[in-house]
Amino acid sequence: MQSESHEQLHLRRSRISDRWFMAGVYGATGLFVAIVAGLFVELYAGSSSSIHAFGFKFLTSSHWNPVTNQFGALPMIYGTVVSSLIAIVLAGFVGVFGAAYLVEFAPRAVARPLAFLIELLAAVPSVIFGLWGLFILAPVLRAYVEPFLQAKFGFLPIFQGFIFGSSLFTAGIVLAIMIVPTVSAITRDVIAAVAREHREASMALGATRWETMARVILPGATTGIFGACVLALGRALGETIATTMVIGNKPAIAASLFQPAYTLASVIANEFTEATSDLYVSALIELGLLLFVVSLAVNGIARVLTWTVLRPAKAR
Amino acid sequence: MPAPYQFPYLVGGAETLARPASEPRPPSKMATDGLNVFYGQFHAIKHVTLSLPDRRVSALIGPSGCGKSTFLRALNRMHDLTPEARVEGSVTLDGTDIYGPGIDPVEVRHRIGMVFQRANPFPKSIFENVVFGPKVHGERRHRELIEICERSLVKAALWDEVKDRLNSSALGLSGGQQQRLCIARQLAVEPEVILMDEPASALDPLATAKIEDLIFALRRDYAVVIVTHSMQQAARVSDLTSFFLLGEMIETGPTAEVFTHPTDRRTEDYITGRFG
Amino acid sequence: MKRVNVLGAALSFAALVVAPALAATQLTGAGSSFVNPFFSKAFYEYSAAHSDVTVNYQPIGSGGGIQQFTQRTVDFGASDVPMNADEIKRLPASAVQVPIALGGVAVTYNLPSFIKGGLKLTRETLADIYLGKIAKWNDPRLTKINPGAELPDAPIIVVHRSDGSGTTYIFTDFLSHVSGEWKSKVGTGKSVEWPAPSAVGGKGNDGVAGAVRQTSGSIGYVELAYVHENKMTQAQLQNAAGRFGFCTGRGVAAAAATKLNLTPTDFSIVDTKGETAWPIAGYTWAFMYREYQKPEEKSRAKMVRDVLEWTATSGQRIAGTLDYVPLPESVQEIAKKSLSEIKV
Repeated sequence: MQSESHEQLHLRRSRISDRWFMAGVYGATGLFVAIVAGLFVELYAGSSSSIHAFGFKFLTSSHWNPVTNQFGALPMIYGTVVSSLIAIVLAGFVGVFGAAYLVEFAPRAVARPLAFLIELLAAVPSVIFGLWGLFILAPVLRAYVEPFLQAKFGFLPIFQGFIFGSSLFTAGIVLAIMIVPTVSAITRDVIAAVAREHREASMALGATRWETMARVILPGATTGIFGACVLALGRALGETIATTMVIGNKPAIAASLFQPAYTLASVIANEFTEATSDLYVSALIELGLLLFVVSLAVNGIARVLTWTVLRPAKAR
Repeated sequence: MPAPYQFPYLVGGAETLARPASEPRPPSKMATDGLNVFYGQFHAIKHVTLSLPDRRVSALIGPSGCGKSTFLRALNRMHDLTPEARVEGSVTLDGTDIYGPGIDPVEVRHRIGMVFQRANPFPKSIFENVVFGPKVHGERRHRELIEICERSLVKAALWDEVKDRLNSSALGLSGGQQQRLCIARQLAVEPEVILMDEPASALDPLATAKIEDLIFALRRDYAVVIVTHSMQQAARVSDLTSFFLLGEMIETGPTAEVFTHPTDRRTEDYITGRFG
Repeated sequence: MKRVNVLGAALSFAALVVAPALAATQLTGAGSSFVNPFFSKAFYEYSAAHSDVTVNYQPIGSGGGIQQFTQRTVDFGASDVPMNADEIKRLPASAVQVPIALGGVAVTYNLPSFIKGGLKLTRETLADIYLGKIAKWNDPRLTKINPGAELPDAPIIVVHRSDGSGTTYIFTDFLSHVSGEWKSKVGTGKSVEWPAPSAVGGKGNDGVAGAVRQTSGSIGYVELAYVHENKMTQAQLQNAAGRFGFCTGRGVAAAAATKLNLTPTDFSIVDTKGETAWPIAGYTWAFMYREYQKPEEKSRAKMVRDVLEWTATSGQRIAGTLDYVPLPESVQEIAKKSLSEIKV
């Protein structure tokens, strides 16, 4: 009798905790959706007078003139996307090969501290990267790297023109350094997760470590690495302060990466506090909306790419 | 209950006649001498001296954790991949110490292949799986690769089942087919020794039977070493059996002899099911 | 019974909260970041002398200051440019704006070879450089006013503030005064569309200073205080009276002294006629409401008024120590008179 009542109590308790758990799960999910939706609605509402005033021209105009209240976002969209692309190409390359080295080749005494150092980079505040970029990296790029690239590959339009120091190129490199830890940390996990059995199978067939890495491990980890890059790209797109400090803040589209440019987040950071007219504030909020949309779009494209390009090659 | 073991290959078939115990041992392909393996402080394999004949199947049996897999992995320097593992003593292939100075472990593994407990095909097509090894070793001619693929799959008794879908993913095959694919992949690099680590333990009886047939057929061309926890399997496919316990090799001899007249009490206890 | 208890608890809780507040009233202000160093030091000294008042000033930018002031979430606001008609219309009540700090904007540059006495610029050449019409350092118009100076055959990198700022407002106000083309093409504002093809924006004074210091062949503008602290190379600029000179406290004070009838609607002191005046200068303004109704509002407003009055008069001595320019006597009087209009 006693044991029966005890059992009943036990059952009921677990059922109640189940219910709490479910409520928590639904609540958290709902809250998350509500926050994203609320953000979108708020941004849209805030930018309505700008959307009304400029319409589609906001996306195609290159003029950003607070004095005459004429606003166009094209150069900032361009600057945001291109600086992030430079960053992800560099960070992807360095991050993936660095992770491969750390997991498979580096002696343990080197790998642990090195991995720790790289991950420490993720904890450095972005303003520090900005200062470093402005005072150390930009002068070096301006004095050595950019003239070298111009001398060797000057026939490419992206390396032509006057060398400023503050540029799309500089911003891309600073962003790359900032997102390398993300790429590298996730890639390390993904590589480590590529089944040990595949690694052993390859070794047992007489493949060297490099051959195993190149032919088995990296191909097997493509989806995960791609995911890491998408995550890192998200950070690069939204990065504000470091970019602002090194990109040159010029709302213009130039073929050369050595020219100053501007990003969506930077304009907002630069001008929001001193923006007084309603239309000006609204235009700045619309930039925020665009950043939101650009981030979603990049993520979406990345997802579609993962599905269409990577999946069939992988299995089935 | 221990009585009804069957020795199908030992009692039947023209070339598989049971040899009398007195027959001289076939020439040794690989041999270990005083082999020790440590994992950090743990002494996993203790002074094992064993000869593994060419063109025969040698089975390593024993309870879980007895060190049989560890021993197997020492035979093709697989422990090189585990930083905390240490190997002492000698392992020879045709008389050459594979742990000796100037020996390339990659070349060792090229000549001594391995098939693992869980089928581990790469997430690639069937064709790419089979020709992975030859490609790594520099074979680029497509015609040649196609031939190797067919030859290997035929040898692995898989050809008929997959010949129409060589370009579809290996992951779509059944467990037993995947394991035979792994064997085919191994055969494609033309090793001299094939090590098998419980190759059928994850498979159903039908698939297991096919793998066992295959193992037995392989002894025509290769030295085969198989680790198994199944005594029936050892009895069915092997010519020689060695019994491992707590890192030591307790007994070795022709399979029929070890199973019917074990010399050591512990072997007998294990075989009769008193522990393990 | 229960209700009485709750009421009692509420009262004693209120007493707990109010009691320390009575010890020192905390006033809040928000706005211009330009005046923040001055305000911090001034308000600190004021509290030291008046233990019943502390002032919490948030340097969130002039726009934010105006917005918070409009919503009455702060006791006073501060802006590098007085509120314009539009902004005043949006206020819930009439406000008083008083000049509270004075600053100058200096022109700085970076050239490979040292120029004895500093680079000389006329008002027109500076405007044309920022318009992109003078694009190279060895332009004849520059070599003509800098005889003997070694000016390279290199492009001029025009550096400006990328963040909206009062400094940019004063600088573009100056350019609009001296160049009709600038006035019609670009105009005056805290952020503008910079026309020069070689323009680069730096965030904050340090961003501009950093860019200029590292970019050979660049020119930029920063606050006077910043030039002094960082020992930057200044250019000489010709004023309306035709004299070349550097930006100095005295030059800015001279510019301010020429405008005796300063009001929130007529506040520009760029390009003034004074013999020794530095032509790029401007005031920061503080503002509070003109009338307060409730007694507790009145007593609070009185404290705010006293703080601002002290800051605009006796506190100006501190401005001098921080490389701001103390308000001239005449302007202090204007501030005092405006503040006296507040009914508390």
